[in-house]
Parts: sequence; C-alpha cells; structure tokens
Amino acid sequence: MTTVHVEGGLTGPNGAGQLARLARGSRTPDGEQFLAGLAGQKLRLNGCAAAAYAALYANVDVIAAYPIRPYTAIMMNLSQFIADGILDAEYLHADGEHSQLSAAFGAGSCGARAFTGSSGVGVTYAYEMYSIISGARIPIQMSIADRTLDPPGDFGSEHTDALCTRDMGWLLGWAATPQEVFDKSLIAYAIGEDPRVLLPQMVVQDGYFVSHIAGEVDMPSAVAVDDYLPPYQLPFALDPRRPVSHGPQIHPEQGPPLQLERARAMEDAIPVIREKTDAFGTAFGRHYTHFVEEYILADAEIALVISGGHAVTCRAAVRQLRERGIKIGMARLLWVRPFPSDDLRQALRGVKAVGVVETNLGLGGASYGGILSLDVTTALYHASPKRPLVTAFMAGLGGETVPVAEFDWMAGKLGQALQRGSVEKATHWVGFEK
Amino acid sequence: MAHEVVRHQLPLFDEEGRSAATDDEAGRDRHYLPDLPDEDPYAAGHRTCAGCGPAIQYRWVLKAAGNDSVLAGPTGCMYVANSTYLCTPYTVPWAHTPIASGGSFTSGMAAGYEAMIRKGRYPGQYPNIIVMAGDGSASDIGLGAISGALYRNHDALFVCYDNECYANTGIQTSPTTPYAGMTTFTPFGKAIPEGKKLPPKNLAKMMAEGHPHCYVATTTVGYPVDLMNKTRKGLNHVGAAFLHCYTPCQKGWVYQTSMTVELGRRVVEAGLFPVWEYDLENRTYHYFHPPVQRPVTDYLAMQGRFGHMLPEHVATMQRAANQNFRDMGMDVPAELVAGEDPEHHKRLAEETYSMPLNRGVGA
Repeated sequence: MTTVHVEGGLTGPNGAGQLARLARGSRTPDGEQFLAGLAGQKLRLNGCAAAAYAALYANVDVIAAYPIRPYTAIMMNLSQFIADGILDAEYLHADGEHSQLSAAFGAGSCGARAFTGSSGVGVTYAYEMYSIISGARIPIQMSIADRTLDPPGDFGSEHTDALCTRDMGWLLGWAATPQEVFDKSLIAYAIGEDPRVLLPQMVVQDGYFVSHIAGEVDMPSAVAVDDYLPPYQLPFALDPRRPVSHGPQIHPEQGPPLQLERARAMEDAIPVIREKTDAFGTAFGRHYTHFVEEYILADAEIALVISGGHAVTCRAAVRQLRERGIKIGMARLLWVRPFPSDDLRQALRGVKAVGVVETNLGLGGASYGGILSLDVTTALYHASPKRPLVTAFMAGLGGETVPVAEFDWMAGKLGQALQRGSVEKATHWVGFEK
Repeated sequence: MAHEVVRHQLPLFDEEGRSAATDDEAGRDRHYLPDLPDEDPYAAGHRTCAGCGPAIQYRWVLKAAGNDSVLAGPTGCMYVANSTYLCTPYTVPWAHTPIASGGSFTSGMAAGYEAMIRKGRYPGQYPNIIVMAGDGSASDIGLGAISGALYRNHDALFVCYDNECYANTGIQTSPTTPYAGMTTFTPFGKAIPEGKKLPPKNLAKMMAEGHPHCYVATTTVGYPVDLMNKTRKGLNHVGAAFLHCYTPCQKGWVYQTSMTVELGRRVVEAGLFPVWEYDLENRTYHYFHPPVQRPVTDYLAMQGRFGHMLPEHVATMQRAANQNFRDMGMDVPAELVAGEDPEHHKRLAEETYSMPLNRGVGA
C-alpha cells in the first residue's frame, strides 16, 4: 500500500553510495547567523560548554539526554541552543542512561548523527549498550564528564566510570582542557564516522577539573568544520529504499570471525586517528600528537604516565622537579582505546622507571590498584632493548585534587626504584605511605 | 530552511461481515479476510513454531504497514526464531535491539527520521516506524523505555505481541501470564497448587491511562482485519501509538497447533482479554462486545498450561472474567455467574467434562 521513494542511481554497481542521504544537514537561519558571529572569536567556556559547542558545530541530528552531575551541563547548553533556534536537532528526554544510549543507537542506525553523554553511575547504568553499539558499528558520540562510582555518593571526578567500558569496542580518550574537549569532540566524530572505522566514541573530560572550570576556546567557522567533518553517511542505514537486517542471531561457529573483525576495527582505527588528527591541525592550526603527549621526555630517566586533566598540574610539577635537577618527564595518553602501545614505547624509549598515575579504581587486579597500569605495563613489557621499571600511584580518588607535592612524592619513589634497580611494590597509595 | 515532513495516511480495510461482529456462531468463520495488499514484508523462511501466534501477528502488522516501514525487534522469541545470520524474513529494514530497548531504540529511529527529513538529509516520506516487543520486553524490562517513548509522543507504533510468557528462554512467567498459568517459573505443586498466584498486569490500560495523548488499542490474532486496521490507525495517528496483541504460543501453552486463531477469539468470548480501542478525544474505552459469551472453561480446557487447575482456581478465573464483562458494559449470563462458585466446577468435573487435553501437563 505504501510506496518507497527510490532515488535514481540505486541500480548501478555502486548504487548504495548514490543515496541522496549524502546531503549535508541544513542549519537554521539563526544558527547560521550565530555561528558566523562566533567564527574567529575566543570564548571562555568550561569543558561542558565546550562539548556542547562542538555538538552544535557538528550539527548533530539527535541528542539523547538524561541528567546526572557533572556532565548535565553539556545537555543544558544544548537544550538552550535548541530553544533559541540555533540548533535544529531532536532533543530526547530519555528515561535513563540505558534508554539514552539505545535512542542514540537507534538514531545512528537510521543515518542520523547522534550525540549523548553521562557521568559516573550513569555510564555504568547503560553498560549493556556499549558492546552492542560498537559491534553494530554505529558511530555515535558519548561525552563523559567523569564522576566517582557509588558507594557512597560522591560528585568528584574519578576515571573509573569511563574506564569500566574500555574493552567494549569504543574509541576512548581524555581531554585535559576545554579547548581539547571541543577539538577532540570534532576529531572523534571525524574518526568514528570514517567508513574505514565506523566506531562509537567516548570523549571524556575530568568532572569539575575540566567540566566546570572555564578556559579559552577558539571558535572556528562553520564552513571549516563542515569541510573537516563530512556529512554522516552510514553505508548500511535502516532505510526503506535499501532494506537491511541489523544484528540477526548467529550460531557459535560464526562468532570467532565476527569477533576478529571487531578486534581489527580497533587496530584499523589507529592510522585513521593519525590522519584525522593531522588533518585537524592543518584545518584549524592546533596540532596534537596522535596518541601520546611527550612532555620533557627526550632525556628523562623517570616518567609519569597520566591521562586527563591532572596532566596540567603534573606538567607544573615536572617543570619544578627539572629545576631541581631531576630528570623527569610526562607522557599523557590522549587515547586509551585503541591503546597506543607503539607510541607509548616510543615516547618512553630512554626512560628507566615509569610511574602510572591512576585516577581510577581497579579492585583486585594484577596491580591491586588501578586499571591503567595494566595496559601500560603490558605495552612496556615488549619494550627493547631494556624494559623500564613500572609502578602505579593511586591518586586523586573520589575527586580529590592531585597537588604538586604528591607528584613530587611519586618522583621520589621512582628515583628510589631507579637506585634500587627494582620497584618497591606494584602499587603505591599516595598519601597513605611514607 | 526546514523541509516538510510528509506522513503516510493508510486507508482502512472494510470490516463489514468480516470481523467477528456477526451474531451467529457459524458466522464467525465466514469471510474474515478482505482483499489484502500483495506486499508481505514478513516473508516465509523463518523458524517459528507450528501455529505460532506472534508470527501470524507479525505478518498482518507488516502487511498492513507496507514496504515503506522501518522495524525494530527487541530480544525475545521473535528475535531468535526470525533472524539467523545471513538470512532474514524481513523485506523491510529491521534491527535487533536489546530486550529493554524496544521503546528507546525506536524513539531514536523516529527522532532520527524527523530530524533527517526536516534538515534535508532524507528525501522520502516519513516511514512507518514500528517496534514489536514481546510481553516480557513490553511489560517488564522495557516497560519504562516504552512508557518514555509514548510520553515523548514519537510518531511510531509500539506493538506488544503478548504470548503471556518469556517463551524464548523456555516459558517463564511474565507480568501478563494469567493467574494459574503454568510456566517453568510458576510450576504447580503440593504447596502451590494453582501454579501462578498473581493476576496479570493490565499493560494496555496502563499505557492508555498513563499516556492519554496516544492511540492505544488491544486486539488478538483471532480478528485479523481488526488487527490490521488498528495497525493502520496507529500508524496514521500522528504521534505515539501502542497496540497490545494477544498471540497464543503453542509451545508455551500446550494446545493443538491449528487452534491459534480459535484461541484468539475464545479468549475474548470468555471475557479474559477485552478487545478495545481508546478514544483519546473523550478518554473512554470502546469495547468490542463478542457475539458469544463463554464460560472460562471453554478456553482453559484447550490448553495444557491450565490442566492442573482445581475448581476453586477455575472459579477465581471466572470471577475475573465476569468482572471484565461488566467493565466492558456487558451483562453476565447466569451460567457464568454460577461459575464463580467452586462447587459449580466440582460438579462439572464429575459430570460433564474431563479436560482431555490437559492430561499431559507437566509430564
């Protein structure tokens, strides 16, 4: 009874690529005007606002929101953009995080650019969805402002929430400043939506330290963003013009090749991450290293490996320690998934003792401390000719700050390990030990 | 500028003389199918059981909806039985969703199409967006997500195919499993002779009362034209629609496979599944009054899952059915009122019927 509107060009061998869906989403007249006024300006934005501005620039089609501190402010900013007529998007008040992720998944499966986010226990409430969305290869974006998991209730930042999802097949990386949040959100969409990748992305910022402290953010022109981030085109969208079935049941013997494909998708994302990071630098003038920020590592004997906003304090501590003649450097992970094993080994090639700053909780793991050190240790195990000593530092848990004095203490422990030729223990609890 | 979102308006089928609304018992079976569309977006080649009620419902819903449809299916028996990797019975786009995501995933599809059409990224009409969730998904784990979707009023049709149990996982009780319905989580035994002790959740009424801006209706596979017309009314309604469809499960209920459609009528005639349409203008229910009113035993005796029921359990069931008849504005015949007394069934058990189909239960 109902007829399907079929565009020309569907019949050729490359017909699938000819769908009119390739059109760029229109912006509202108010949106065009607003963005034209922003271009070239520096705004003082906190990390949440920066993420919202990135979604505005990305001209997202569907936003799935549910409140939880501290990421909520991202969604508050976006709802205002829509109320003001600046952004044309469907804003969906989900009934929980599981529904948020499901709705974004549904929208992304139809070919709409979808945006969602969460914090803390909200991230874990949606856990079922992570493997499903990445396995379906639907490149939605989730913006996370970290929050400690319960119990007890705690608003403070801890990386455990997002790290819990690290093996679920999402691109996962931390931003350390509002500018980085803005940039990484656009870069992540560009990587994730690339047909060679097609993976969902988590763009993570530390709660409060980044999400609620303002920094300067450069506003690009909308045209430049549109050029950098092409229209979202899912090759296998749920589209009546070209019916497909998503996610049918498999037999166990069909599992291994599919899982291998998912594992390869992570590896295959690595060159695209390099390419899109470089292209971003060319387009906007802000050049990021692909995976690991190397801070005074060239001649370093000891180094701290860190992720996220505490790197800002860590840099200051490293500078002060250098003034005292201690040969220390810092390696900051810009992506945790895919884990940059090669780039990290390269960054730490001359380093003899490495301390991993764990702002997360990995109860009962091999280090009896955090999560990150397990990946770092595995990556460095294959370092040649000589692998460095590795230990972990539990710091900043529950959203506590990590002051310069604590980084000094960590440097001291690394120095002792260097002298001794071995680490004292796999994990140090900073503030609980001498 | 924003592009116009053009929506389908599907014509209704002629129900005259084709539904169950004929007043003689023989007439029930005449001419109930009008000329149907040729399209069959739910094609043959799936692995559902013989006599599968949900499969019949899937076929009617998709026939009524047509090819310009996008379909979601949360985990359930109709996920596992229908889709086998590299093979599909759907000629329209279909996606599996997690069991709790029927409402939310479908919300996302609807929101996606609204935005894409408005922003000039999709050139067609707004497609029919449909999800068919089992009763476990719709009334239990995914209830909140469907309620959220109805509340937000996405232009989509949310169908619950109700086979009154978690059939996929081996017949466990769901909130719509009837009182005394035997499942593998509500077996009968010396301590619990009735099996399931709780009356069922009234899912459709909850949806209508809680989301009075939505098109809400109930139907069964016993009335295909009614089912297809309610599908079309739900799709034509601009906004959210919820259709609760009774779909017998041969495997879970233990009945002769040819009796699926018959059960779809008897359940209504026995007063155990009121068929109605919610009138959102006047906030009232338009009940279908079956031409025949039967004692519940006419329905229970066909199914093995009720074979363990004792006279007092049957009486409890009859009381619930009679209450339903009164809710529907129907008189309750004296014979049915008599059935509220357990003694009535003790007598019947001895004198009249022997429930021959029930012997195999639990064996």
